Amino acid sequence: MNDSITFKKRTIMIRNYFKIALRNLLHNKGYTAIKILGLAVGIMCCILIMLFVSSEWSFDKFHSNADRIYRVWQDEKYEDQNFVNTITPIIMGPTLEANIPEVEGMCRILRVNPTVTYTQKDFTDQALMVDTTFFKLFDFKLLEGNRANPFPQINTVILSKTTAKKYFGNASALGKNLEMQLGNEKEQFIVTGIIEDAPEPSSIQYNMLISYANVGKLFSEGLQKSWFNVFGETYVMLREGILPEQLYPKFPDMMKQALGENYEPGGFEVYLQPITEIHLDNNLPQGLQPISNPKYSYILATIGILILLVACANFVILAIGHSSSRAREVGVRKVMGAERHQLIYQFMGEAFIVTCASMILGIGFSLALLKPFNSIINRELAFPLNISFVIFCLLLVLIIAFISGFYPAIFLSKFNPVVVLKGKLSSKKGSGFLRQGLVIGQFAASIAMIICTIVIGQQIDYFKNKDLGYNKEQIIVVSTNLNRIEGAVLAERYRTELLKHPEVSEATVSLYSFAESPWITLGFTNEMKAYRSFQYNSVDANFIEAMDIEVKEGRAFNEQITSDVTNAAVVNEAFVELFGLKDPIGKKLPGPFQQEIIGVVKDFNFQSLHTPVSPLLMTMKPDSVFRKTENIGMAFAPQPRISVRMEAGGLSNNIKVLEEAWKQVAPNQDFVNTFLDASIEAQYKAEARTSTIVKIASGLSIFIATMGLFGLVTLILSRRKKEIGIRKVLGAKVISIIKLISMDFALLILIASIIAFPLAWWFMNDWLQEFAYKVDIKWWVFVLASVAAIVIALITISVQTVKTALSNPVNSLRTE
Amino acid sequence: MLLELKNIYKWVNSGSRRIFLLKDINLEVKEGEFMSIMGPSGSGKSTLLNVIGMLDHFNEGTYNFLNEPVHELKEKHRANLYKEYIGFVFQAYHLIDELTVYENIETPLLYKNVKSSERKALVADMLDRFNIVGKKDLFPQQLSGGQQQLVGIARALISKPKLILADEPTGNLNSKQSEEIMELFKDLNNEGVTIIQATHSEMNASYGSRTIHLLDGMRNRTN
Ligand SMILES: Nc1ncnc2c1ncn2[C@@H]1O[C@H](COP(=O)(O)OP(=O)(O)OP(=O)(O)O)[C@@H](O)[C@H]1O
Ligand SMILES: [Mg+2]
Repeated sequence: MNDSITFKKRTIMIRNYFKIALRNLLHNKGYTAIKILGLAVGIMCCILIMLFVSSEWSFDKFHSNADRIYRVWQDEKYEDQNFVNTITPIIMGPTLEANIPEVEGMCRILRVNPTVTYTQKDFTDQALMVDTTFFKLFDFKLLEGNRANPFPQINTVILSKTTAKKYFGNASALGKNLEMQLGNEKEQFIVTGIIEDAPEPSSIQYNMLISYANVGKLFSEGLQKSWFNVFGETYVMLREGILPEQLYPKFPDMMKQALGENYEPGGFEVYLQPITEIHLDNNLPQGLQPISNPKYSYILATIGILILLVACANFVILAIGHSSSRAREVGVRKVMGAERHQLIYQFMGEAFIVTCASMILGIGFSLALLKPFNSIINRELAFPLNISFVIFCLLLVLIIAFISGFYPAIFLSKFNPVVVLKGKLSSKKGSGFLRQGLVIGQFAASIAMIICTIVIGQQIDYFKNKDLGYNKEQIIVVSTNLNRIEGAVLAERYRTELLKHPEVSEATVSLYSFAESPWITLGFTNEMKAYRSFQYNSVDANFIEAMDIEVKEGRAFNEQITSDVTNAAVVNEAFVELFGLKDPIGKKLPGPFQQEIIGVVKDFNFQSLHTPVSPLLMTMKPDSVFRKTENIGMAFAPQPRISVRMEAGGLSNNIKVLEEAWKQVAPNQDFVNTFLDASIEAQYKAEARTSTIVKIASGLSIFIATMGLFGLVTLILSRRKKEIGIRKVLGAKVISIIKLISMDFALLILIASIIAFPLAWWFMNDWLQEFAYKVDIKWWVFVLASVAAIVIALITISVQTVKTALSNPVNSLRTE
Repeated sequence: MLLELKNIYKWVNSGSRRIFLLKDINLEVKEGEFMSIMGPSGSGKSTLLNVIGMLDHFNEGTYNFLNEPVHELKEKHRANLYKEYIGFVFQAYHLIDELTVYENIETPLLYKNVKSSERKALVADMLDRFNIVGKKDLFPQQLSGGQQQLVGIARALISKPKLILADEPTGNLNSKQSEEIMELFKDLNNEGVTIIQATHSEMNASYGSRTIHLLDGMRNRTN
């Protein structure tokens, strides 16, 4: 009974608050618009970033057994180095399954590049070779086919929806044949299933699935049994309730048995990584799919929160700045019997309404900008209309309403009616302090973001313009799409054909071009039992000269000298340093290799500038080198590639020339080409993305802060109108009045700069650590950023001040 | 006895000097009185009204309101007391700009948690009484000064106070409007409401039953 009465009273009060709040907001449309717009932009940033971050954190969680699926990784230790890998030997999975009873299931995943013949043309497609347990472990949706027996025969293939459409259009693909070449010959594969495309947040992505039974077509018996060659990922599913740590003690015995005489305690350790941690764990090297640096989630989240805080600060600044006009109302209400908490509710209610309006607008903004945002972050995020999103939005409203409403409510409800009703509310120093603090905070955030924008921009320019030690201009790479032996023949024919064209200035054949990185990783254990690894490429005699690589000692390969083909090696400076070679020219290569070093080239950046130049070995023929190596790692298929340097000229014409020539030598084969500068640029995609985001964020932040400043200056001016009027009557010039108002703000922004500098420096210094080659952070960047902020602020202030100062003083003096 | 002030002192410290705003004020007001406080500007009229209205503190002395010792009451209790028994009328009207006439009059009832139906009836009575029914949906800026002050008085009366404190209620009005307001006060007084007004006008003071004079915070007994 009593409760229902108080409840009714409450609702009456709340209705009243809302009414008043709404009228107040409408009455001050300008300030309300600034508050709402600022918050809406902040909310938009938060929502978009939340979508991204939650997608990052939801990777691989859609598998119903996600908590029991692990990816196997290994840690091989040598004297002075260890090699951590998430790509494992083929034998790893079966060994685990046979020795560890707690392993309920195992599935190996190997990425292969079959040549698909389709409408009489050859395409290189990508397929995953997987064990038949694939659908037992993972939840991928098999649209047609049999989950329990997905590959009834060895030559069967399951196509993703997209791939099926690509090859068979809208017709049903099930039961059809697809001609593919995995190993040395073309074979017919029967389509036995159609699988839904992998969802975006999945660490396993596929175009098609082929049974693991085909592995023999690619790798010899020896390689399939080898523990020192790694080829694909291995996933295991543990029995319910088993933790990987419980199994670790069993692994050494298993490895001892598996390695036999090669076993050394601790020399080859096996670990399990939860599948849900794959995407964001950059302590382990990436496997088949790229992983994310969790840093980017943090950077984005920080940016989102900063912008939201800047917007909240706007709210507080304007609410307090506006307090003089609210003070009288507070006084009257108190005299009418309002208690302080009731007034606090009232002001909180206003904040709540503003926040709700901002939320609606913010959701609208995010819907409108989701597409551009997706293209910046290279994702396909969708708006989730689920409960947790609704809860997120509600929570956000409550938090924002609290942050931005609480202080103004406390502040405004404090007024003493006797003082305010007498009409002598002095602009109190206390609130000025907080307001100034908030303005400083806003500008500090903005200035820091401007600094970051500039530094990131500089680093990206540096990526673009740094001398890489070779000439990357005007180069188009054409891939033969064929294996080493066949490809080499075709490449040579193509090169000969190309050189007939005047548009072509150089053409050179190599196993890997500058568009692929890394090249081949080779490794061997030296006589000191230390493991040595370096990069390798097989190149033709023109490569070094055609690419303008500087020869430091000795000479490059020479076509005229026949022994060069099999017996000569060219290395880079890093290679010389790694092996501590003195006077390397004429010496035999270190390790098991027979070739003689004929030249040393200056280090050139064949890898991205994230890493220092690795030791590099180049020979003309790869066979003998491969034969002598224990460990070969390839991230890209070894297909001879032709790098063509074009004479300056029209792009489309250049391509046409290359394509025509290709048709001459390989009429049945797809023409696959890459622009070198585009693929180099692609190496810095993550950085370019960060740059765009920080650029937009600093723009938004400055925009919101400036809007707030505009509102604040308007308020201050309206309060100081009379003072300004009197000053003018006394003979003050407009400029001196502008100075009067702006000096305070200039000082605030200076203080903001001082706060922003170390923060931005720290942030950028940390970010730059990712790169082996980086710019120095220059002092003038800081100056530039704060000058920019001051200029923007002064323009804002001056526009408003001039308007007031130019108005007739008599008008403002009369309004008393 | 409605209220009784004994040896009331109020001061502020300015540096080492103590400035007295009220000095040894002794005053008794009976229910049903209509008292005027006069005195030159700065003599402390408003200060005294605020003390009587319990909006402001005093430093020394005793103040009994309806036989309750105000100076010994807790803040909360004191606030309840003035909410219950005292209505304020200001020179500058002090209506809330964002509220309509109706809502301005209604506001004190909201803070007193009066039921909705009752509120409607009370406000309607009040509008009727002051002949402003037609203006109930207007906002203060749309009214003349005299009308605004009528609303101010209606708002002060809505919670049926025993005492009305009016600080220069006609200070911003012309003589015609002033007269109307004073007539209204007189009627109210006849109905039994106690009124204390601060005023500069002998004319206004003449409506009252008693006048006291202040000078520099002290009752000027020479008059
Ligand atoms: N907080 C304060 N600090 C210092 N002096 C004050 C304070 N409040 C009031 N005074 C002073 O006390 C004196 C009395 O002020 P009060 O407002 O009561 O005068 P008043 O009689 O109402 O004058 P008026 O007729 O002009 O309204 C004035 O001199 C005023 O300056
Ligand atoms: Mg006064």
